[in-house]
Amino acid sequence: MKNLFIVVLTVLLAGLSETAGAQSDSSETKRGPYTLVVSVGGGLSYYSTRLGVPSSLEQPTVSRFGIPATLRVMWHPDHRLRLGLETGLVPMYSYQGNAPASRARVRVSAIPILLVFSMPLAWLSGTERSLARRLAVSGGTGAYLIRSHLEYAGVVNSSRPSVGWMLGGSYTQPIGRKFRVATELKWFNASATEDAAFVLQLQLVWRAFSW
Amino acid sequence: MRVIPYVLISFLFLVFLGCRKQYEAPVPYEFANAPGAGRFTAPVRQSIEGVYGVTDGAAQFGEQVALKWSYVLDGADTTHFLSIFTGVDVCFFNLEVEPQADILALTGYWRKLVNTETGRTRLAVRVKRNGQLQRYSGGLTAGDTLVLDGVYGNRTAEPTQKLTFTYRRPLNQKPFSILAHRSGGRTSDLLSVSENSIEIIRLASRLGATGIEIDVRYTKDGVPILYHDNSLNLRLIQKNGLDGAIEKYTYQQLQTFVRLINGERIPTLEEALETILTNTTLNFVWLDTKYIGPMDKVQALQQKFRQRAILARRDLRIVIGLPTQGAVDAYNALPDKENTPILCELDTAITRSLNARIWAPRWTLGPQTEEVLAMKSENRTVFVWTLDEPKFIEQFITEGRFDGILSNYSPVVAYYHYIGQ
Repeated sequence: MKNLFIVVLTVLLAGLSETAGAQSDSSETKRGPYTLVVSVGGGLSYYSTRLGVPSSLEQPTVSRFGIPATLRVMWHPDHRLRLGLETGLVPMYSYQGNAPASRARVRVSAIPILLVFSMPLAWLSGTERSLARRLAVSGGTGAYLIRSHLEYAGVVNSSRPSVGWMLGGSYTQPIGRKFRVATELKWFNASATEDAAFVLQLQLVWRAFSW
Repeated sequence: MRVIPYVLISFLFLVFLGCRKQYEAPVPYEFANAPGAGRFTAPVRQSIEGVYGVTDGAAQFGEQVALKWSYVLDGADTTHFLSIFTGVDVCFFNLEVEPQADILALTGYWRKLVNTETGRTRLAVRVKRNGQLQRYSGGLTAGDTLVLDGVYGNRTAEPTQKLTFTYRRPLNQKPFSILAHRSGGRTSDLLSVSENSIEIIRLASRLGATGIEIDVRYTKDGVPILYHDNSLNLRLIQKNGLDGAIEKYTYQQLQTFVRLINGERIPTLEEALETILTNTTLNFVWLDTKYIGPMDKVQALQQKFRQRAILARRDLRIVIGLPTQGAVDAYNALPDKENTPILCELDTAITRSLNARIWAPRWTLGPQTEEVLAMKSENRTVFVWTLDEPKFIEQFITEGRFDGILSNYSPVVAYYHYIGQ
């Protein structure tokens, strides 16, 4: 299922790129406008892969849900492929249980630092108000800083980088000249540490600067 | 929209994602680990050791093999295992005696460490006398030839393929140290037990080792433990959410939360040395200094177990490896260096200045013939590390200048050493 989803997205992105290239006007010398767009989002995350709880813990309780917050800065050029950076804090999972000495807790979260490419599905329809213009797919690659927090016989905070990637799909609704609201479903995947989470977010999108 | 290129790109992407294969090589045989040797009395065991020609099964295991017994000690009990080392694909056999059988029978498994090939095997020991295969129960006469024949199979399938070993000559008896890396072998070679665990220390002899190198680090509260990498990671431990340098965690935290890949606890250095002393016949321990900081706790354990080995009349050398200038500084900072054997991995000048009795250069520096001969002329022992290439293992053993080889593939070192003439 995951592979199928990736294939469909790849076909879409490749098709978008092809269509964008085919529609460019080589006689046009003036470029722009360019826009810097800042998105701030929050929502719900679900840890969607195998997690490990030590068998030494008695009566363990596990939480796969969290409240992620992300910040994305995108450059919207005068063509459809957009480029930007994304970071934030994404809770992965936590568990707690009774260990021999006391109650023990572990929390795992990730700070994504990703190069993100995004493209609206606008080649399906040309009008500004069409649904397709407001739908976008995005994909990114880069690093995750995986953070672990242990409370048991003391507190230990650790972190390590992991290569990883993300995929997402969003819908954006204009609510003013400078602002939009968007909802986005994302898949964050940190490969080296085998951590992955689905994230559903509501985002405030600010078209901060145009030239 | 031209669809075909995108479909092709997608297909390649799918192939890429689909290529993440999980490799596994579970041991296809469950050992009874019963103490005792049954019909395999000491003279019988001694007569079985040797270099054998492979009559049936040469395509899988090569033209000749070396058979060697090893032992696990548990108080007054001794459990006997027969190892067979082959020259092909880092392949070895581990067999245990069948005490209930009315003939000399062995059963176990074989495994190739360069891949995931493995399978079960059963062998019987017979003697070829006057051209006839006969039951063997000890007592060879002139003209007799020992033959181990039986079957082997793949994975857990019932063994059906013919396997025959025919005795050629005794094992090479020249003293040589077969030193196993990471307490016996690497987790990444899909062994049944994890590297730097108590369980692999007990297994090391069956993989051909006469000694082991173990990686020593300190926990946050100063307990010397065995662990190779500088951080907790999924290569070595089961997923538990913890990350970062192992030195950030106390011993209690590690014991509660961390299990090695195959489920074992991270052992303390003291537990490891206790196991080596009381459960194995290993005669050499190389304490690799992975930590930064004082060496006194490691020195204290080294001296404690050295004394216990002397009292138990065990042939056991425990040396502290000095791989870096930092480790040399830590050694030099010890207030009392008496009875603290060391092994220097740095150059010959530093080795001489420390008066280390063992010099251990890395193998990638080449044979270093002049330096090796000079150090040996000064009555120093010379090992080389960490050599896993069978071609170079064979070359180094054939040239005969080194006193031992540290390797992740101790079965290969054992094979080339024991078949030497």
